[in-house]
Amino acid sequence: MSRENLMLQIHQIQDEMLVMGSLVEQATMKSIESLKKRDKKMAVEVYNADRKINEKRYAIENSVLILIATQQPLAHDLRLLAALLEVSAEIERMGDYAKGIAKVVVNLGDFDIPVPIKEIDQMATLALSMLHRALGAFIIEDGETAKSIPAEDDKVDEMYNKVQRLLVNLMIEKPQNIDHANLLMWVAHNLERMGDRVSNICERTIFVTTGELVEIESKKKEIKL
Amino acid sequence: MTNQTDKQWAIETQDLDIYYSDFRAVKNVSLKIEPKKITSIIGPSGCGKSTVLRSFNRMNDFIPGSRVTGGIFFQGQNIYDPRIDPVQVRQRIGMVFQKPNPFPKSIYENVAWGARINNYKENLNDLVEECLVKSALWGEVKDLLQRPALSLSGGQQQRLCIARALAVKPEIILMDEPCSALDPIATLKIEDLMRELSAQYTIIIVTHNMQQAGRASDFTAYFTMDTDRAGSMIEYGVTSQVFTNPTHKSTEDYISGRFG
Amino acid sequence: MKNPLNLVSTTTYGRDLNLEQRQKKATIWKALFRLSTLVGVVALAILIISIVNQAFGLVAIEDTNDRNDFISTSIKEVTKTELIQLIETNLSTNRVRTLDREEPLVERSRHDLMALVETEVFKQRIVDSYSLFGSIFTPNTFRDQVAKKHPEAIVEFKSWFTPQFLQESMSKTPELAGIRTALFGSLFLILITISVAFPLGVSAAIYLEEYARQNTWLSRVIQTNIDNLAGVPSIIYGILGLTIFVRAFEPITSGRLFGYEGANGRTILAAGLTMALLILPILITNAQEAIRAVPNSLRQASYGLGATQWQTIWYHVLPYALPGILTGTILAISRALGETAPLIIVGAATYITKDPSGLFSNFTAIPIQIYNWTTRPQQEFRNIAAVAILVLMFMLLSMNAVAILWRNKIQNKR
Ligand SMILES: Nc1ncnc2c1ncn2[C@@H]1O[C@H](COP(=O)(O)OP(=O)(O)O)[C@@H](O)[C@H]1O
Ligand SMILES: [Mg+2]
Repeated sequence: MSRENLMLQIHQIQDEMLVMGSLVEQATMKSIESLKKRDKKMAVEVYNADRKINEKRYAIENSVLILIATQQPLAHDLRLLAALLEVSAEIERMGDYAKGIAKVVVNLGDFDIPVPIKEIDQMATLALSMLHRALGAFIIEDGETAKSIPAEDDKVDEMYNKVQRLLVNLMIEKPQNIDHANLLMWVAHNLERMGDRVSNICERTIFVTTGELVEIESKKKEIKL
Repeated sequence: MTNQTDKQWAIETQDLDIYYSDFRAVKNVSLKIEPKKITSIIGPSGCGKSTVLRSFNRMNDFIPGSRVTGGIFFQGQNIYDPRIDPVQVRQRIGMVFQKPNPFPKSIYENVAWGARINNYKENLNDLVEECLVKSALWGEVKDLLQRPALSLSGGQQQRLCIARALAVKPEIILMDEPCSALDPIATLKIEDLMRELSAQYTIIIVTHNMQQAGRASDFTAYFTMDTDRAGSMIEYGVTSQVFTNPTHKSTEDYISGRFG
Repeated sequence: MKNPLNLVSTTTYGRDLNLEQRQKKATIWKALFRLSTLVGVVALAILIISIVNQAFGLVAIEDTNDRNDFISTSIKEVTKTELIQLIETNLSTNRVRTLDREEPLVERSRHDLMALVETEVFKQRIVDSYSLFGSIFTPNTFRDQVAKKHPEAIVEFKSWFTPQFLQESMSKTPELAGIRTALFGSLFLILITISVAFPLGVSAAIYLEEYARQNTWLSRVIQTNIDNLAGVPSIIYGILGLTIFVRAFEPITSGRLFGYEGANGRTILAAGLTMALLILPILITNAQEAIRAVPNSLRQASYGLGATQWQTIWYHVLPYALPGILTGTILAISRALGETAPLIIVGAATYITKDPSGLFSNFTAIPIQIYNWTTRPQQEFRNIAAVAILVLMFMLLSMNAVAILWRNKIQNKR
């Protein structure tokens, strides 16, 4: 029996964070779905639902601050609460990316353009799977899993390059596609950024378990002149 | 129950002033204590926290020259009404003190005594066990009930004092800096215990340790002194609110350690 | 210097440490304190030695009447009936009757009768005595002196402390005198004193500490008076006792009011009451001190549980203060046991052979006997006075020991 009250409240915040994560997953999936179906109404729904995610983030932030103010968490508890602030911010940003994708769907309108939906779908599936596992690792504080996930980001990057090439070819083939292909470029870009955010979440997990702030770099990210 | 307010508060004070002879130690306190919750009273030293707390079960009566004006209502009755016997008030509103002060008797006797003098008719052994279980001490002392209470550690002694207070079956438990003589671990144990007890009892705790107020209480009242050295209540609200976003500058300065 | 390492640094930071001088001062003070203790211990030792010195030693014994006039053989061979005969024929009829009343002669043991014959018929007397140290180191001086003055006397070693000394009552002859009457007198007196003073003193202390309003002028006057009364000379109490208990309350203290044939108020009851008066201030102040030492937190704990003031005092304050009160009582008893002056004034008898039998008896007490004996010219009385002092000290010590054991038992239970 020790600090039951604090532990109880931390668990509640963690639950809220998981709910937020699944909201983001749903939003992303739905935005890709609306792109696939070119369903503007659905896209608008996704766009507006982001408000809910933002509110969740503020609620989590508030709870964390109250706990810090009233409970004097230290050591592991303090790292966990600090990480919760960071992770909720990352998830919220990912929600914004889903919102961005939905906005692209609206802006595309009914313009006829061959969307590389298969590749985009794959990117989204991979990024969301990473997010899902990263949050799971965060909750159970599984540092090993957290360390292994960022490597998968390279795959997302790879597919991002592929989609980019496809879209550039599209522009070259048909210059009147340029505006809309550019919009689609943002969709791919957003999905690629999601992978990076997941890496950040994994870094926080490692911070909680070991207390070390390390950047998990994949080999390909190094830039050489 | 006849009461002028719409809600049944555990304790309600109205324009409470407390004097020591001519010195007004506390002025103008109007406070409503939520039942079955933990309310903490914080504030700088000498602002009258203990004075207010003691007035809730008329322990101030023992200080020569102390005087109360205004009302303190418990179950709709002013406990300072001349027709009310303070002994009865103290039996309904128990108290735990700053320094653990078990009687120099056995552990068993410490818990049983209060019940016995209040004409408890049922099985004392059961009562002692029940109270020690509630105060999270039973496991540690169940085989040592006849040992002197003073052989326990400070933290255990304080939990024994809580068990002793519970044995009288009070509705409210007042605690005046119950952890200030204890080490941090024992302190956290008492706080956990308070949390558990708050399901059944109203707890009012005075503490000079604002972190403790933050950790352990649902409501916080902040007291400070005026230029005439009279203490008064500056802020009262939900603890999380008071600790993250106090309404008054003075509260903020106090809880962030800039004053007091 | 004590310091093998030179810890005194060369830099003195502008201060003169002056360590050597300070140490020297400390040494001097320590020596002074030690000396004071030593003086006390030596004084005590001298006191005890001088008492013991008187209580044992060589004596010269001589028959006043030549025993060959009465018996032809050694007394050890005389039969019991002959012994009784010796007594009955050689003592006055009055004396025989007195002896017979004390215990019929025929029922007495042979040993008893032998002693009786030696003392009463042969009138065997101690004619000279010598101190313990003299007896050990220069016994021949004494022997020569005795041989010169009492050629008939035999010299033998005698312990003045004998079972008879405890069993016998007063006598004009030192070697026959005992302390029994005084011992009972003292014990009875203390019993009366304590059973009156203890409840009164403790009650008064409780009232003053727990009930009376503190810091009013009245309570301050009372307090000051009690404190001062503890220092009033005991003879004043004697005069007070004489006026109040012996004279004013004579019907009560003499027992006449209760149908007792008392002659006057000079009874053990009057003396016990006087003594109670004497130790009351000591008892009260000590009990007050003990009650004041009860931590307030204990009272608060009790009140906090809904206890009344009486429950708080009875269950917590008094038990906690009891060891302190007992200490005060020990002091008071010691004082009362050794007091002489008030008893003399109240009218303790100096010569009495009857043990106190009730509240209205005449009585004597050990200190009175000691005082009485030391004023006698014969050396032998001084010897038995020394033994009486030993008895008194033993009584004090054993009473205190009982009280201390009791107190420790209470304290250990905490
Ligand atoms: N028994 C007393 N007699 C007189 N003044 C007192 C007494 N107890 C407290 N006070 C005064 O009342 C004020 C409030 O004291 P207290 O309630 O003990 O403060 P706190 O518990 O907040 O430190 C202080 O100024 C203090 O000096
Ligand atoms: Mg206080």
